Amino acid sequence: MAAPLVLVVLVAVTIRAALYRSSLAAFISERVEVSSPLNAWKRVVEGLALLDLGVSPYAGAVFHETPLIIYLFHFLIEYAEMVFMITDVLTAVALYLAIQDFNKVVFKKQKLLIELDKYAPDVAELIQTPMEMHYTPLKVALFYLLNPYTVMSCVAKSTCAINNTVIAFFILATIKGSAFLSAVFLALATYQSLYPLTLFAPALLYLLQRQFIPVKLKSKGFWLYTMQYAALYLCSLVVIICLSFFLLNSWDFIPAVYGFILSVPDLTPNIGLFWYFFAEMFEHFSLFFVCVFQINVFFYTIPLAIKLKEHPVFFLFVQIAIISVFKSYPTVGDIALYMAFLPVWSHLYRFLRNIFIPSCVLIVCSILFPVLWHLWIYAGSANSNFYYAITLTFNVGQIQLISDYFYAFLRREYYLSHGLHLTRQDGTEAMLVLK
Amino acid sequence: FQEQAEQFFRSGHTNNWAVLVCTSRFWFNYRHVANTLSVYRSVKRLGIPDSHIVLMLADDMACNPRNPKPATVFSHKNMELNVYGDDVEVDYRSYEVTVENFLRVLTGRIPPSTPRSKRLLSDDRSNILIYMTGHGGNGFLKFQDSEEITDVELADAFEQMWQKRRYNELLFIIDTCQGASMYERFYSPNIMALASSQVGEDSLSHQPDLGIGVHLMDRYTFYVLEFLEEIHPASQTNMNDLFQVCPKSLCVSTPGHRTDLFQRDPQDVLITDFFGSVRKVEITSETVSLESGLAGFESKLPKDELATEPLKYAEQLPVAQIIHQKPKQKDWHPPGGFILGLWALIIMVFFKTYGIKHMKHIF
Repeated sequence: MAAPLVLVVLVAVTIRAALYRSSLAAFISERVEVSSPLNAWKRVVEGLALLDLGVSPYAGAVFHETPLIIYLFHFLIEYAEMVFMITDVLTAVALYLAIQDFNKVVFKKQKLLIELDKYAPDVAELIQTPMEMHYTPLKVALFYLLNPYTVMSCVAKSTCAINNTVIAFFILATIKGSAFLSAVFLALATYQSLYPLTLFAPALLYLLQRQFIPVKLKSKGFWLYTMQYAALYLCSLVVIICLSFFLLNSWDFIPAVYGFILSVPDLTPNIGLFWYFFAEMFEHFSLFFVCVFQINVFFYTIPLAIKLKEHPVFFLFVQIAIISVFKSYPTVGDIALYMAFLPVWSHLYRFLRNIFIPSCVLIVCSILFPVLWHLWIYAGSANSNFYYAITLTFNVGQIQLISDYFYAFLRREYYLSHGLHLTRQDGTEAMLVLK
Repeated sequence: FQEQAEQFFRSGHTNNWAVLVCTSRFWFNYRHVANTLSVYRSVKRLGIPDSHIVLMLADDMACNPRNPKPATVFSHKNMELNVYGDDVEVDYRSYEVTVENFLRVLTGRIPPSTPRSKRLLSDDRSNILIYMTGHGGNGFLKFQDSEEITDVELADAFEQMWQKRRYNELLFIIDTCQGASMYERFYSPNIMALASSQVGEDSLSHQPDLGIGVHLMDRYTFYVLEFLEEIHPASQTNMNDLFQVCPKSLCVSTPGHRTDLFQRDPQDVLITDFFGSVRKVEITSETVSLESGLAGFESKLPKDELATEPLKYAEQLPVAQIIHQKPKQKDWHPPGGFILGLWALIIMVFFKTYGIKHMKHIF
């Protein structure tokens, strides 16, 4: 399997290199859908230039990256294009290895459940076979590398790619079962953009499953392991933050990074839901609504954890998708990460009810974004409502996609344990609905 | 002999200026333009040259499409006197007649690009005549239907002029409704003021001309003009006579005047001290030798300042240096403690994950 992967990597790198040399690079890096105030490359360069002039890069609300990014790019700024291509490749390779391991885990679990007779007799066609899952890791790498969103994000040199790499390594470490590495990478991801905090729950659930510790609230083993993992995570987070203090000898980066993410002061339009609301809100309501919007991101973790505690990797997928929809400054790079996982659930295809509409919505909205931006900003014949409508539609499309997959996943699980032909008590055919 | 000396010291001015302002525009305010132009004509006739007159008019009468006699502005109903003439020099015309420009002219705070004709270049030996006409009220004067100047602003402007030594004596004449309110706030010395009506009274216009269709002049200025027509550069008429011009029987309003700020007795003030430009000429037969006081100056110039070579044009900017500039060396480096700590952590994580004994599999 290495050879096809290498081929895919080569093709991806060629596309990116070609785009870097073309005139589209400047155009793409200016797009607000691709670069947000948090991860724009222009701001990284600006921050490093300020540092060379002897001023703290966090003075003035230009630079919102973490000190580790300063350290990384201080030496690598001339090779920025190579760095971003390498990060994309690393992400793809990490996802490839992670999904390879995940397949093995799925097989083991399936085998166990078959031997335990947990499956209904007529669900043979639903069980995943090695033949059909052989190419899934390659497809995942392909989906990530050749996704136009990823390519645009790489060409724009948005540091979202670095965040994706860290999350991909976190997923790899989690699936391999190493709690320590998983905690370290999760701490790095949280340190960079705060929202991967919610990925703590699926990682914990997966590791518990792997250690065969049942998730019971009264069980001592459960709490012991949870405490261990949480301690590892928090300690690494604290260590990384304290280490960042020593880079510039100041705590300036905390309000500049986390304060900025949480309080959303910059209302440049992007593909998220925050900017329009807060642009037209009165001052004395804005604190309340900022809290409401931020809680919205973290809110789905507990209910999903309860529902999907047997399927933590799917929970991870849904959680990453929710982060990329509801975070304060989303970009298409975040979307590319969870879309890379879609081949893993390709066996759910027969249960997806309305895959056509969300895909059309996503494609059409992606095309309409630059069109309506041009009409609004340059032609002056539209206004922000047009752009926000497309943003809303795009996010609704994403949510429909996720909930469709969620429904299909749960439906398959139900069929697995209750048989394919469901009947009601009086013998007529029954239909599953998601309430 | 004493009378001769007295006459010599009668007035301390050496030059005369006039600032004549008409603050109205539009055809039905014909009379205000005619007022101002009449005073302008008298003042020019009595000797003040155009270079010493700042004339501010909306200047939309002579060429107004409603003017049946184009290029003329008449001051008398029988069209006896065309005050527009051939040699009218309007310094501030049309929309340039604003409160800001008027105050800038008075105080001298003018942008450097203003031409000489638009400046009041008076000094501390200047006698200035300021004539204003238009629509006014209690304490204000309306400028061009869009802004007002208040009596306080005017008083402050005159105080600025006094502090900057921009006048020796000032005669302020105003012909508007409730005109006396405009001079009540003056507090600077050497100002004499006349107004056409008291507070609460309206100044009325003199006579309409049925051929032109508007009132041609205001009463007060009409009678002042009549009075001035009899003045010539050598006349000895004094201010007291000017105060008697236009009694209530002729003007319907009561003209007022204010002399308390003026140091000389109005009886000693000639009309030509303000309306004319009478130069004091002293004929002498002695020769006067001017000492050259400039001899010591040249030696004081420091010699070393002239020693440097002047730059040639092409050498002023070191372009060659700029083009071939190397990229700036980075001045900031991360502190050593940070690098050490970071790599120590990375190595710790690495060994924790893989164990030291697996090192040989990796390398």
